[in-house]
Parts: sequence; C-alpha cells; structure tokens
Amino acid sequence: MPEIVLSEFAGLGLPDWIDALIRIVFIVALMTVNALALIYLERKILARFHQRVGPTRTGPFGMLQSAADALKLLTKEDVRPTSADRWVFELAPYFAFVPIFLVFIPIPWTETWIVRDLELGFLYVFGVLGLNLVGVVMAGWGSDNKYALLGAVRAAAQAISYELPMLLVSVGVILVVAARLTVDGGSAFGAVNLNVIALEQTTTPFILLQPLGFAIFMIGALAELHRPPFDMPIAESEVVGGYFVEYSGIRWSFFFLAEYTALLLLVVIGSTVFLGGWNFPFGEDVGLGLQVLLTIAKTSAVIFILFWSRAVLPRLRIDQLMAFSWKVLLPFSILQVLANAIILAYGGGEWIIGLTSLALLLLLIGLVYGRVRVLSRGAGRSLNKQPARPRLITAHDLAGGD
Amino acid sequence: MSATEIVFYCIAFFMIVSGLGVVLARNIVHSALALILALGAVAGVYVILTVEFLALTQLVVYGGAVIMLVLFALMLTRARERPQALFGKNRPIAFVIAAGLLTAFVAGIVASEWATTNPDDIEPLPFQEIGDVLFSAWAVPFEVISVVLVIAMAGAILLSQPDQGEQ
Repeated sequence: MPEIVLSEFAGLGLPDWIDALIRIVFIVALMTVNALALIYLERKILARFHQRVGPTRTGPFGMLQSAADALKLLTKEDVRPTSADRWVFELAPYFAFVPIFLVFIPIPWTETWIVRDLELGFLYVFGVLGLNLVGVVMAGWGSDNKYALLGAVRAAAQAISYELPMLLVSVGVILVVAARLTVDGGSAFGAVNLNVIALEQTTTPFILLQPLGFAIFMIGALAELHRPPFDMPIAESEVVGGYFVEYSGIRWSFFFLAEYTALLLLVVIGSTVFLGGWNFPFGEDVGLGLQVLLTIAKTSAVIFILFWSRAVLPRLRIDQLMAFSWKVLLPFSILQVLANAIILAYGGGEWIIGLTSLALLLLLIGLVYGRVRVLSRGAGRSLNKQPARPRLITAHDLAGGD
Repeated sequence: MSATEIVFYCIAFFMIVSGLGVVLARNIVHSALALILALGAVAGVYVILTVEFLALTQLVVYGGAVIMLVLFALMLTRARERPQALFGKNRPIAFVIAAGLLTAFVAGIVASEWATTNPDDIEPLPFQEIGDVLFSAWAVPFEVISVVLVIAMAGAILLSQPDQGEQ
C-alpha cells in the first residue's frame, strides 16, 4: 500500500477521531462560506459586466444577500411532485453532493494542509467527482419531468465527453512529473499525487510546459460545471431549469452548493496542476500563511476568468458542444499525450514539450477562429441574400427614422 | 473481532442488500442505481485489501458505466410505461443455473488454498507493479477488452436507433 502521510493537524497530538472531526467541520464550513461568497461575487462581477450594480440592499454592499437567500431557501416548502419516483427523487441531492464533499480529501491547500495526502490523489479526484453524475441522472429521471430528464441526459453526455480530454491532458502533466521522478533511476511512484505535482513546480509552473493542457483543462472544467457557455444541462431557455427543475427549498440548495463547491475544487485542482499551486513562485521554504494566500490568489484569478467568460460568451448548441469535445479537444489532447511520451522517451528537453504544446495550442486557436469566421461570414451572407420584403411606409419612416 | 473485520462485515451486508436490490427491483433504473451501490461496496472491499488503485479504478470505470447503463435503460426499454414482470416462464432454468453457479462459487472458495486468512497479514501491492504487468505481459488482452467495449457500445446505439431505411 502506498504510504499515506497523515499530516498532523497544527502539530497537536490529538486523538485520531477528534482530528478527523476537526477536519470535517473545517471542510463543511469552507464549503458553505465558499458557496455564499462565490454566489455574491458572481452576481457583483456579472453586474459590473452588464453595467448594473448587483445586490446592494442586504448588508454593506449587499454582502449579506447570499446569506439571506440561503435562509429563504431553508425555510421554503420542500415540494415533491406526486408522479415523481419518491426515493430516487429524495436521495438524488445527496448523491450529487456527497462525492463533491469527498473530493476535498487530497487537495493540497499548502504543503502540509491536506486532509489526507493520498498517493493516488489525482485518480481519486476524478474517480469520486464522476459519481456526482449519478445524483444528476437520478434527479433528472426521478422528477418525472421531460425537461429534467433532458437536462440530466445532456449533463451526462457533456460530463462523459469532457472528462476524457481533461484526463488526457492531465496525463500529459503526469508524464512530465514521472519523467522527472525517474531521471535518477528512481521510481515514478507519486506522480499522481497532487502534492508531488505541486512540489515539482518550484521554478516553472506546468502551464509553461503544457499551455494546451491548461486551456483544455479549463474548457473541460467549464463543461463539467455546467457553466456558461456550456450550461446546456441547466439552460433556462431550452430545458427550463434542467435536472433540478422540480426541486425546491433545501434540496434545491444542495444542488447549488454542489455546483459552487465543484467550481472551487476543479479550479483549485487546475491551479495546483498547472499554475504551481502553493509552490510557485516562492517555493517550499515560505511560511504556510503565504502558501495559503498563493493558493487563494491563483484560485480567485481563475474563478474570475470563469465568471468573465460567462458574461461575454454566448451559449453553444448541444451538438456543437459535443462535436467540439469529440472532434477537436479529444484529438488535440491525444496528440499532446503522444508528443509528450515520444519526446520524453527519446530524452528531449522539457522546453521541446513546451514548444510543441504551444504550437498545438496556437493550431487549436487558429482552427476555432477560422471556423467561427467561416460560420459568421456564412450567416451574414445568408441574411443579406434574403429578398427585400415590401412593407408599409409608416409615420416613423416619414419622420426620417432609419 | 478487529475493526477491519467489523468494517468488512458492514460492507458485505451493504453489498448483499444492494445486490438483492439489483435483481429484485421491478424498475430497471432502480436496478441500475442499486448496481452502483453494490459496485461501490466492492471498491470498499478493495480498500480493505489495500489495493487502492483497484478501488479507484472500480469507481472511475463503473461510475461512468452505470450512468451509461441508466441511459441505455431509458433508450432501449420503456421502463416507465409498463411495470416489468419479475418472474418469467424460464424461472426453473434460471433457478438451476443460479444454484449451480452458487455451488461452484462456494465450492471454489472453500477448496482454494488461501495465502492467509488473517487480515493483518495482507501484503500491500504497489500499484506501479500493476501498471508494469498490464502494459507489458498483458498488453494485448487489455487492448482487446477496450475493443469489445466499443463494439458493445456501438451495438447498443445501433439497436436504440429507429430503422432509417423505412422512412
């Protein structure tokens, strides 16, 4: 068995069960505060992009708005449709929520602040995170609502499609880590440990070696999190509210808590794997406080970019989304893994990996840009081709309007 | 009884209950959902046996697989429209086969010479050894399995599609 290092809680010699309890309470508090804060910040940031002011009434700068919303949700009636499958419907929020709670275990907030330093941390994250989908499908099917079922099927299709490129580009990083660990004839043991991955990035974060990897990871994270522009499973204009359309009150808030916690988790994992986590640029010798600040700063920056993309990008169509994953991202991520493996096997320097990845990223951007250009030009032409229809001359025209 | 044994019996009980749920549920989606509980319990047994890699692989593979199963159940059957009959006319044959399998499994377990029966003696298996063996000695079977899975998936899609020639 891989040796599991139980990082001691603040150096106190507490019994194991108290130690475990403290960690659980800490994580639960973190989840709640995170969801409340992120919802408030998202509303404020989106408001800035939309030239509105966002919540202002509750508390200073409207900061208590999410707390007030949470209270409202807790006191709301919990409605269950009579035709719903009772147990599946009622258990679904927990199945959606518990896996995400469990993913907190191997996350390295600092060098030693880890619930448990799992040797197979990366595999664990994706193994457990994927189970969240069971809850989503249960909710969609159990609600006995066509829109909910459509939303759940979309969520499942989307998550299964985007997990593959995400995992493959992460394999690219793991290959680099494994190559470094085996360079002196050592074993590649620990290359899937999130903390070891962070530890390898003291001088260069892996985003420099794998820019394509980071881009695909973040696109995949957007799709996994059902965030715009990939929010087809919960798109209001298409499937009403998606898989949780029949839920209300506390069960509904479970889904929301799960979504925002997953957002935090995937971003923390992304910044640990690609941006150096707690390590870059100050290294291991810096105090724990600064390491936490580094983690928070990187995470906040990436989350801001995700909010930003929500404000500026239009929603795709579901078939475009699936095609983008299977026809574009998957081939690119396979190419990336193959390129890494070949370069490392023949002893090429890491800068070659960085250059190939950058070249692939530029190719990807070029392809997407070219496709968008062609599509938008085609759309414009077809609009122009429409025959001019005769119309009535109105008072507006006579007054010199356009 | 050690703590490991207590945990094992809890997991085993859970596994049997959810396994019964798989075969006894009238609704095919309920069966699929009970299956994920049963498979999760198997992952728990792997953790007790100190092969975490296998446990996580179990979750990665079967988590996604059960979702696919539910989707196929929705595509291929009309689970919602007619209640499924629990017993068919092949009941005696099924009983004979099931009893035979059970006997074979129990006989196999009893007759096997186990390396140890003490949970504390379990030797941890480093997961990199699994990787070495999987991609060297057993590379061809590994690849063949993936081909089989792709064929199964393509077949399911083909079956669930309406006939295009008639339209």
